[in-house]
Amino acid sequence: MRERFLTGYNDFVLPFMIGMIFILSYCAIGLIRILKQLPKDDRRRFFISLVTPKTIVKNIRDIFCDCLLHVKIWKRNKLLGYMHSSIAFGWFMLIVIGHIEVFLYVPHRAKLFYYPIFFRYFVAETETTMKGAFFFFLMDFFLLLVLSGIFLAMFKRIRSRMFGMRRTTNPSFLDLIGLYSLWAIFPLRLLAEGFTADISGGSFLTKSLNHILNSFLSDHTNMLPAWWAYSCALGIFFVVLPFTRYMHIPTEILLIPLRNAGIKIRNARKGFAKAQVYSCPSCGLCIDACPMGVMKTHIKDTTVYLNRQLRRNNERRIEEISDKCLLCGKCTAICPVGVEGDKLRIAQRSMRKYAVNPDYSGIDTALLPVSPGLADPSVAADDKVLYFAGCMTALTPSISKAMESILVKAGVGYEFMDKEGGLCCGRPMMMAGRLDQARQMVEKNTEIIRRSGAKTLLLSCPICYRIFKEEYRLEGIEVVHHTVYIRRLIASGRLKVGKTGLSYVFHDPCELGRGCGIYDEPREVLLAAGNLVEASKNRKESICCGGSLGSITLGFDKRKSMTENALSNLTVASPDVIVTACPLCRSTFTRYADRPVEDIAETIDRNV
Amino acid sequence: MKENILIIGGGIAGLEAASQLLKLGYNPIIVERSGRLGGHVADWNRLFPDMTPAEEVVSRLVAGASEANIFLNTEISFINRLKDSYNVMLSNGVSIITKIMLFATGFSLFDASKKEEYGYGVYNQVMTNSDLERWFNTGHDCRITEEGPSAMGFVHCVGSRDEKARNSQCSKVCCITAVKQAIEMKQKFPDAMIYCFYMDLRMFGKKFEDFYISAQRDYGIRFIRGRVSEVSENIEGKLVVKAEDTLSGRPVKVTLDLLVLMSGIVCDHQTCRTAGMLSLPLDSDGFLKSRDNIADITASPKEGIFYAGACTGPKTVPETLAEARSAALEIHNHIISLSEELNSNSEGQ
Repeated sequence: MRERFLTGYNDFVLPFMIGMIFILSYCAIGLIRILKQLPKDDRRRFFISLVTPKTIVKNIRDIFCDCLLHVKIWKRNKLLGYMHSSIAFGWFMLIVIGHIEVFLYVPHRAKLFYYPIFFRYFVAETETTMKGAFFFFLMDFFLLLVLSGIFLAMFKRIRSRMFGMRRTTNPSFLDLIGLYSLWAIFPLRLLAEGFTADISGGSFLTKSLNHILNSFLSDHTNMLPAWWAYSCALGIFFVVLPFTRYMHIPTEILLIPLRNAGIKIRNARKGFAKAQVYSCPSCGLCIDACPMGVMKTHIKDTTVYLNRQLRRNNERRIEEISDKCLLCGKCTAICPVGVEGDKLRIAQRSMRKYAVNPDYSGIDTALLPVSPGLADPSVAADDKVLYFAGCMTALTPSISKAMESILVKAGVGYEFMDKEGGLCCGRPMMMAGRLDQARQMVEKNTEIIRRSGAKTLLLSCPICYRIFKEEYRLEGIEVVHHTVYIRRLIASGRLKVGKTGLSYVFHDPCELGRGCGIYDEPREVLLAAGNLVEASKNRKESICCGGSLGSITLGFDKRKSMTENALSNLTVASPDVIVTACPLCRSTFTRYADRPVEDIAETIDRNV
Repeated sequence: MKENILIIGGGIAGLEAASQLLKLGYNPIIVERSGRLGGHVADWNRLFPDMTPAEEVVSRLVAGASEANIFLNTEISFINRLKDSYNVMLSNGVSIITKIMLFATGFSLFDASKKEEYGYGVYNQVMTNSDLERWFNTGHDCRITEEGPSAMGFVHCVGSRDEKARNSQCSKVCCITAVKQAIEMKQKFPDAMIYCFYMDLRMFGKKFEDFYISAQRDYGIRFIRGRVSEVSENIEGKLVVKAEDTLSGRPVKVTLDLLVLMSGIVCDHQTCRTAGMLSLPLDSDGFLKSRDNIADITASPKEGIFYAGACTGPKTVPETLAEARSAALEIHNHIISLSEELNSNSEGQ
């Protein structure tokens, strides 16, 4: 290889350089701002994680798998996965190999930013090219990879269904400019390198192009315009990038180490929340996932639009979108970059100002005594169980009755925490963003639980279970959901369950499944009682029943179609009984279901 | 020739319409799915506001319709549309050709076990308004002891005016029924403490207001404005009812021996199925949709099909009877216009 120009410079690199300098400085400023916005202890934790070997490895692996290979999207849809990873990984390899070429052949130019990008313009082939054939081949191969991805991206604009997406986002004007400039970059690169293939050398793609279109490409007067166009496309892309969805490319590289450092959203708009909002690639996977999506009118209330409005600071829409959501967490579960739609919304809600702020810290917990259980005290085990039914179970008394009956049959010594009235667990207040009030309730309940001397806290409501697990400090006390507890009783032989010929389908309640990751125990319990069939969307992808406490502004007429949709998803395998493990899901489904809906405690109690 | 008129439902609306149509010289055919006539009213003991025995009302109506063709334990299997009439196939194998059909299908009582927080079907001491009337009639119900409850409550609007229960309409008669039943219970058990938990009291009918005042003044029944939030059982097996007294703005908690749920009036599922065979539209409240809710309540949007009684919405007994008579007259006018049309057509030829 030898250099064609002594200066190693041409004016066409200017658009690229302007774009590059702009985007690099923008990202640097953004990075510093986000880090400054983090609370002090979070920032400390972040820096420590950056030098901890374990998190370093995890960061590198996550960045490689998520940002370049898009493993999560691959798992969802192969074609969609290929499209993303071919563009991201292909482009990354083009940059890496470009740099290697510069280091190998013209090391004294390595300090020039643009040189690896426009390498083929600045060099000419010599007899040493054979050494370069390997790299030329790789360069052409990865360019082809990227081009195939771009082609799929164009095709996806027309038929997103092919990629497993029923609906996709409506791009904004700047998004479109970013999109078209991104699409233009690689065909223009191919054209530009096609012009120089007979000078600088090339491989199967560029060389062949040069041969086929010889009459046009051999005319070197057309060469410069092609390189200018390539550089301009790059420049435009970099300049609009911060204002488009493509900002997710640099932001995600920051989000991954922040997440791995264990940082949580503490401020609705700053720090980690901001990193999440800018990491949203606007892919629109959450649109199909959102249970509100059964109604077309609610498409713009999904997380992808929340992120867009947060970037635009459109307060009215932010309020609307955050308020309507049922917080089922499905968008969070399927998001390929890990934007936490539910937590972002709770954070927005926490910014609200209320005229009345009730204070629960004055409640006297001595007035809320624990009631004795029904079990025979002589069989009571040493490690006492405290059963907390919660408000929703109080409204569905057959669940608490069944649960008590199971405890009696298994000979478990227990006490009933809220039989004669109790306090709310605090989760609804938490969901409403009223964190102070929630904390007061948490403290009061902690007092009651500690005083009872119980070793196990049993819950039949996953809404309660989640907050007891996440927010309560109950060291030394095991917090257990009744699905898990019943499974344990069956496994240890304390509960003998007879098998019926009925087929059951299990509905994964949002707070139990996505919220706490409990999927297998309830299914194992049901298998002991009968046949188990699966819903078409289950486990992590389970559809919210529509009764959630997450929203108080979503009307019943709207929820109705969501419930019906969730029911039709559950009944695809025509089960005899729909079983769930949440009192709220159960009463919501009972309203519209065409077959019996039960809580898992009722099913088991009947078959013992 | 005597014109066949198919009346679906042998409740008070169907019986009254049949007796009027008989008087007008037609041939009414009543199809009733249960084994006896009189519908819901036949299950009731006494009717407000004069405590008229329900049996009296029903037997008078049955006597009036005795000349009609009556099929008990019979349902409609399917309906075929002919050129200008309908061929109705009954479950007993009889097929009827008729130009006129009258829906007197009535209503269903809301299934109180769907409001699980009130504990119907979960706790032994919870019953519905219709269970209580049955007890008035038969004197047998394990939920009511010999000596009677020392404290009991009535919950108004169970499954009415309740979006969560999928019924936003007012059932119209439960307020006054609760007052009536409360008085009757107080008459039987003078020492019992009786509470009514209500949202509003809608005392719209003749003498209803007097009845309500008397319940408070003469019988000492306690009216608490506020919905019941939940019902639970204490260790002695008594019911603990939690509600909010919205007048004093305080939560209340009472311990009761018996709780009566005033199940509301909801559209009958079977009626919707039959209406579906004829593609009759349903109104937004789930009941059959009249041609006009003010001027034409007894007419359906389809020629030759008429409505009477609670199939178009909750109604009191006198309202239902008045509507049945009005439907009979509508049918009469319709038949006359049909024959006039026929005559003018044949003259034209």
